[in-house]
Order: sequence, then structure tokens, then C-alpha cells
Amino acid sequence: MNMSLPIPKRMVFPSILLILLIVTPFAAPLITGDDPTAMAIPQRFAAPSFEHWLGQDEFGRDRLARILYGGQVSLTVAFVATTIAAVVGTLFGLIGAYFRGPFEFFTTRLADVVVCFPPILLALLVVTLFGPGAVTLIAVLSVLYFPAFARIAFAEALRVSALDFVEASRALGTPSRRIVLRTVLPNIAGPLSIQYSLTAAAAITIESGLSFLGLGVVPPAPSWGQMIRGARAFMNQEPLGILIPCIALTLTIYIINFFCDRLRDALDPKGAQGAKDAISQPVTTSQKAPDLPSDAVASVRDLRLVTGPASQSVDLIADVSLTLRANECTALVGESGSGKSLTSLALMGLLPDVIRQENGQLLLRSKSDGVVDLGKTTAQGLEKLRGNDIAMIFQEPMTSLNPVHKIGFQMVEAILAHRPMPKDQARNEAIELLELVGINEAARRFDGYPHELSGGMRQRVMIAMALSCQPKLLIADEPTTALDVTIQAEVIELLQRLQREYADGLGLLFISHNLGIVSEIADRVVVMYSGKIVEEGPTDVVLNAPKHPYTRALMGSMPAAHTDLHSSRNDRLAAISGTPPLPMARPSGCAFRDRCPMAIAACAEHIPSLDNVSDVHSVRCIRADEVVTA
Amino acid sequence: MTAFLLRRSLAALVMLLVVGTIIFSLLIIVPGDPAELLLTTGGGTTTPEAVAALRETMGLDQPVLIQYLQFLGDTLRLNFGTSIIDGTEISQAIGLRLPRTLELIAAAAILALAIGIPSGTYAALRAGSAFDVITSGIMALLTSVPVFVVGTLFIYVFAQILKILPAGGYTALSDDPAAHFRALILPAVSVSLNLMAIVFRMTRASVLEMRSHDWVRTATAKGLRRKLVIRRHILRNAMGPVITVVGLQLGILLGSTVLVEFVYNWPGLSGLLVTAVEQRDYPTVRAIILTVAAIFIVINLAIDILYSVLDPRIRLK
Ligand code: SF4
Repeated sequence: MNMSLPIPKRMVFPSILLILLIVTPFAAPLITGDDPTAMAIPQRFAAPSFEHWLGQDEFGRDRLARILYGGQVSLTVAFVATTIAAVVGTLFGLIGAYFRGPFEFFTTRLADVVVCFPPILLALLVVTLFGPGAVTLIAVLSVLYFPAFARIAFAEALRVSALDFVEASRALGTPSRRIVLRTVLPNIAGPLSIQYSLTAAAAITIESGLSFLGLGVVPPAPSWGQMIRGARAFMNQEPLGILIPCIALTLTIYIINFFCDRLRDALDPKGAQGAKDAISQPVTTSQKAPDLPSDAVASVRDLRLVTGPASQSVDLIADVSLTLRANECTALVGESGSGKSLTSLALMGLLPDVIRQENGQLLLRSKSDGVVDLGKTTAQGLEKLRGNDIAMIFQEPMTSLNPVHKIGFQMVEAILAHRPMPKDQARNEAIELLELVGINEAARRFDGYPHELSGGMRQRVMIAMALSCQPKLLIADEPTTALDVTIQAEVIELLQRLQREYADGLGLLFISHNLGIVSEIADRVVVMYSGKIVEEGPTDVVLNAPKHPYTRALMGSMPAAHTDLHSSRNDRLAAISGTPPLPMARPSGCAFRDRCPMAIAACAEHIPSLDNVSDVHSVRCIRADEVVTA
Repeated sequence: MTAFLLRRSLAALVMLLVVGTIIFSLLIIVPGDPAELLLTTGGGTTTPEAVAALRETMGLDQPVLIQYLQFLGDTLRLNFGTSIIDGTEISQAIGLRLPRTLELIAAAAILALAIGIPSGTYAALRAGSAFDVITSGIMALLTSVPVFVVGTLFIYVFAQILKILPAGGYTALSDDPAAHFRALILPAVSVSLNLMAIVFRMTRASVLEMRSHDWVRTATAKGLRRKLVIRRHILRNAMGPVITVVGLQLGILLGSTVLVEFVYNWPGLSGLLVTAVEQRDYPTVRAIILTVAAIFIVINLAIDILYSVLDPRIRLK
């Protein structure tokens, strides 16, 4: 946890290895007094001894000395060539990025052309002309590798120079030479150093390969490639002869690659966090028999979701209970992080595997009219429910459809997943659905790709797909947030029309932070804050006479009258300062206490319960009765 | 699509021309007289007559422009001239040996893809599992072992100690198919290991990335069976980047065959090349390198086209 250490912890070990690797060969005179070229024919193939730790080779030369001095040659060739390539390439790249125009073309195209050549072949071509030797090798390798540096420096410099602080210093009139040296270069050092170590490893491979062919470093100067070449003929008598240089060479390249990998991780710590396709299985903790009110299509009872290791798990949502009814639209409202999306994913059985369900019961009415307890359903059972009895549309229409498959394919896939039928019939149904959601020239679009459609059109396709098996419940997670205002209104109208005319009995769970839209579409509103429901009731009651200070703040932050569909993608509250607490840092008592204008000492004592203020309206606030409606 | 094909083919042709020009101009930009250079490098001595004779065989006595046009015309007609060492027809020698090299490359590529893609996919889908950790470790090692090291060690283990496979050599398929394929195993595996490691890494990274895309969640939400989600919405999308990387690595693959053919005494293009380099037979070296570059460009064109079939968005760019 020492933050002042400039080297990240994971870099320490590879760095030490790398330094050892580079220093050891050059410490050869300290390690062995032997001359790598001194022959002693009588002692050829002598086994390792006290004088000769690794034995002697086919000419009786000391193998340890040859390995160490051979390492000097390989490393020198590789690092000198790489350094030249890096310096020249970076200069080219920076010049290209600075002047653009023909320089840009030259820099990037050159790399394309050189990449075409299998590097060892170009090296061979040059060796034909100039003869083998270390100098030829260095020259060839630097020519081979500088375009790659040029391309990286070019691309990175363009990226960096578009960053704010560089723009700023340019605006302040800093000379461009200074900008390049002070700001651009340090910022592109990361990718360049990765390329540097990759190139060094590649250069060693090529050098040793050429030496192995007898076209690289010229004898009697030792080199690893040559040692393997020499020992090949005797591998039966003396396997050590090939093993030792093979190990030295592989280890060297491995250490450089290892260093490079760690460096890449350190510079670009993306890591693979929970992938969206890894799902955690729902559970049920309720002993109660699954039972749904006759008009309900789904219910959530006492849902509690946690994350983190079992010993110190954090509640993401707790005590969430919801009943979703047929022909009704329930809106789930709250800021990002309030737990509204998690609640809906839990209903779909789509929770990411880093989140566990600790408590609660999730019930669903399937189309066969039976009540299904998700916690008692197998993974295969969930597959049968999803898309068939319960469907979902997501926030980002731009990325929710697979870009490499035709729209028709993806729709037919949804239909055939649950309703086996001839392809033609599925196609016709899909086209009808596309027409239903208002896609012009549906037959042509059927054979088109998602990238040919606008965001609004894609969301219509998503809706058509979600309704293709006539589910009982449709979850719409911020379905309009990513869209333009006018398109938003159209999509909302479409959803309302479909619920009225097409899908009779459909229950809609509409997740949004936009109260304007909610007031348009929802019959009931459920407000969530920091993982808990804080207010719940019929839309007109909740929105006209909010009892919870948080709901009031939400209303206050609406841009205009709530008949207006204006929305911004920014779901911060304007009316109250601050942001919702992180799940691991909730204040004691009421989670809203920090931001609540009405908070009193008693609010810190215990978490308020969700109490009825009327038959249909409940609020989680100890001062609910005192709230004056605006 | 047609426009895309035309554009790509045109670009490939231009690339061929550029490569040819660069190879041609190497002779022009070397300091001094190339003929003399070829005859004297490595400390040899020569006579003015020999130099003049070589200049004439290589056409170096002509003006540069004439030489260039001559070179282009000859190359187009696949007429690479004769070897300056023994006067054999270069095109013929290449025609005889090229199929053997291609066979080696094809076998190696198939092996690399057949093992790299499934293991990479499995490792990504079980990221962090024992399988993932162990396979990733082995593959990291494989990226670091030079081909000729693998080749040499394979000969030691399989031919010298276990004596189950030949240490090298070549038998024509028509003579003895079994012997032909037995001799192919070690060279093909040696060439494939590096590529296999790269394919594995790329597949693993690509599948990991594709897994977390929104459309995968959409597919799951549709109720698609897990197997289909993986095949159609993860793997299918992951293949694009993998194929591109394979294309970029082909240069290295072609380079590997040079060493592997030498190690196993496989009578492909590379044996010819190494001998030609040793003997400073410039026309032969040049012809082989042009051939290889052409193959490389054609394969890359094929990969570009394949990629555009896999991902329709590419065609727009
Ligand atoms: S309980 Fe207290 S802090 Fe919480 S909302 Fe009500 S008044 Fe505000």
C-alpha cells in the first residue's frame, strides 16, 4: 500500500528478472575467467566440472563463457537495433502527427508495407547483399522495426494532442517543441515502451534464427543461435550442448515477454470484471407456497441482493417488494445506483454472477397460467421463461443488437427460441411485428443490418423482438434515455399503443429516472433510493402529493412541468446537492439523511419502515406526515 | 460488396507493386557496384571480367528505368531469370518447391486454428479456472520459444530418444503417403506452435471482450439456449479480430518455415533460399522473396474479404 513507490507492485518481480537478464551476460568476466573462443580439443564434450560449470563444447570451449558472451552479442544486437528503431520511428511518428498531410501518409503507409514482409526474409535479402555480421543485423532490424514505432507514435500523438490539457497549453501559446517534449512524449511513453520490449524480444528471435542458419553473427564470435547449430550434429552424444543454449534463449525471450505483459496490464488495467453473460442463479428463501394475486403477472418479495465476499458482503438492495399487475404499467424511479435496474435483472434471472441473491422470492405467472418460483427453476427452465413469459428491452439500442447478424435473423431467433415453426412462417411473423412497431419497408429492413437503422428504429426492433412471443411481463429499462426527445415521445406512444391494442393483459415494468415520461405512461410509481423503496403509490397521488422528501426533490429537479417530455441523460438531482451514498458507505438510519432538507437527529437512529399513509400509498420516512405538498 | 472487393483487390495490387519496387530498388541504393558487392562480400576477390559478366547476366549494364520496366515485365510473366550460380531456371525451381512450403504452412495454420480457437474460447468462458491458468501459462511459454529451438528439441525427443518419428527429410506423397505424412508431423507442429499461442491469446481476449457486450445480454434475455448464445453472439463476433491477427502473423509464419525447413531438411522454398543467400545468388533470393510477399498479400486479401463477410460493418469503411 505504499503509494509513493513509483513502480507498481506487480512490476517489481518482472523488473528484477529483466535487470538480472541484461546485467548477467555483461558481468561475464566476473563470473568466469574463461575465454569463450579458447579451444581445447582433447576436452571436447567434457561434462560439467568445477572449472567448467556447464561443461565444454565440441571444440572444448567453455560453455558457460560462451553462453554469457553469446548473450552479450544477442542482447547488444537486439537492444541497439530496437533503440535505433524506437528513436527514429518515434521521430517519424511525431513529425507525421505534427505536420500531417504527406508525412502522415508516409508514416502510416510505410508501416503497412513493411509489415508485409516476413521480417526474416527481408533480413536474408540484405544479408545476401552485404554478407552476414552483427552490423548488418543491427541495420536490418532497425529498418524492419522503425515503422511500427512510427505508427504507434503517430496514433498516440494524435490521441494525446486532442486531450484537454494539451489543447490548453497550445492555447496558452506554449511553443510546439515544448508541447511535444513536455506533454505528448510522456503520455505516449506507455504504448511505446510496450512496443519496445515486444520488438526487443522479436529482434532476439530473428538474430538467433539467422545465426542458427549461419547467416547472422559470424564465428568465432559466440552466439546462442550458432551454439545450437553447432551442437545439433552431436545431440546424441551430448544433449547438454543443445539444451543449455535453448534454455538460455527461451528464458531470455520469456522474461522480456513476461515484463511486457505485466507492463501492458499496469498501463491498461482493464481486467475482466463480471461479464454480462455470467449469470447468478436466483434462489428462494420463502417457505410460503408460490402464490400470486389473480391479477398479478409477477411479484418480488423481500428481495435482498448482495455483493462482495461472504464475510463482508454489502447490501445492494434490501426489502424490495413489488407486485406487477396485468394491464398495468409500474414505473420504477430513482437515480443511477438506486437498485432499480438490479431489481429488474433479478426478475429476468439475469443478475451478473458477482451479485448474489441472499433473500427473497421472485414469482412469475407463466403463459400456461401456472405460477413459477424463479428460485426453484433450473437454468434451462429460466431459458424457457425468458423471452417467452417475460421479456426485456434495454437502455442502449445502439449496442443491444448484434452488429454482425441481420435484423431478421435476430428476430426469427427470438421467435424460434420458444415457438418451433417453419422458417418462412417465422419470417412472416417477424415482418408483421416490424410493421406493427412502425418500421417502414419492413420486408427490406428484415434483410438489413442494425447499423443501417437509427437508434429509435433499433429500439422499435427491440420492442418487436421482446413482444414476439407475447410475454406476460415486459421490462423496459430506461428505453428512451439514449434517444432524442422527439423519438422518445414516439417510443413511449408506441409502448402505450402496444399495451392497449396488441398485447392484452401485458404487465409493463418501466424503469426510468425521468418523471416527465413516468407521468405519461405509468399507472403506479415506485421510488427507490439507495437500494430501498422509499415511496410507492398510484402515479397521480405520488407525483401530485409526494410524501417523501426524496420524491419531492426528484419532482423539483424536473426541467419543466411534468407533461413535458424533456429529458437530459444526466440523472443528477438539481434540487438537492450531493450524490446517493455508495452501498458500503450508507449513513446509519435513513440512507437519505445526508441530503435530506428535513433530517433531524431521530433520522439517524434506525432505518425507517415503509408505512402506509393511505390504502394505496406508502412512504419510508419518519416525518412523512409533516411533508407539505408543493 | 462489389465496390469493396474491387477496392481491396486494387489495394493489394498496389501493395504488390510497392513491394516489388522496394525489392528492386535495394540493388540501386546499395553503395557501389552490386555485381562487385555480390562477388566480393565475405572477403572474396574477383576479376573485372567476372564483374562485367555478372553485370550483363543481371542486366545491370542497362539504364535504371529500362532495368525497372524489364524487372516488372519479367515478374508479371513469372520469368525470374536464371540463377547466377548454376544457371538453372529460377521459376522452375520455385514451382517445384513452392507446393511443399505451402503444404507445411497450411498444415501448421490448420493445426494452430484447430487447437488455438477452441482452447482460447474455453479458457475465456472459464476465465480464472485451472484450465485457463494452466493453458494461458503454456501458451505464454510457446510464444517465447523460437521455432528452431522447438524444432531441434523435437528432433532430440521424438527422433533420437523415442525414435517414433523421422528426424527430417521428405517423401513425395505419390511415393509413400504414410511416410509423407509422418515426415510432415514434426515440421508442421513446430511451425504451428507460435501461431497457436497467438491464436489462443487473441481468441481468449476477444471472447472475453465480446462476452460483456449488450447484445449478449439481449440474446440471453430472448431465452436463447446458452450454447447458441455462445456460438452466435459471442464466438461469431469474436472471430473477426482473431482472423485479422492471424493475417498479420502470417508474415512470421512464413518466416518460421525458413528455419523449420532448414531444421528438418524439408525441401521447400526455404532450403533454396538459404543456399541462395549463402552463395549470394541475388536473382534467386529476390525471386523467392517476391513470391513469398505475393503469397502473403494474396492471403491477406482473402482474410480481408472473409472479415467483411463476418462483419458487415467493415464494408462501409
Ligand atoms: S427519515 Fe429523516 S432523513 Fe430520511 S427522508 Fe425522512 S426526514 Fe429525511
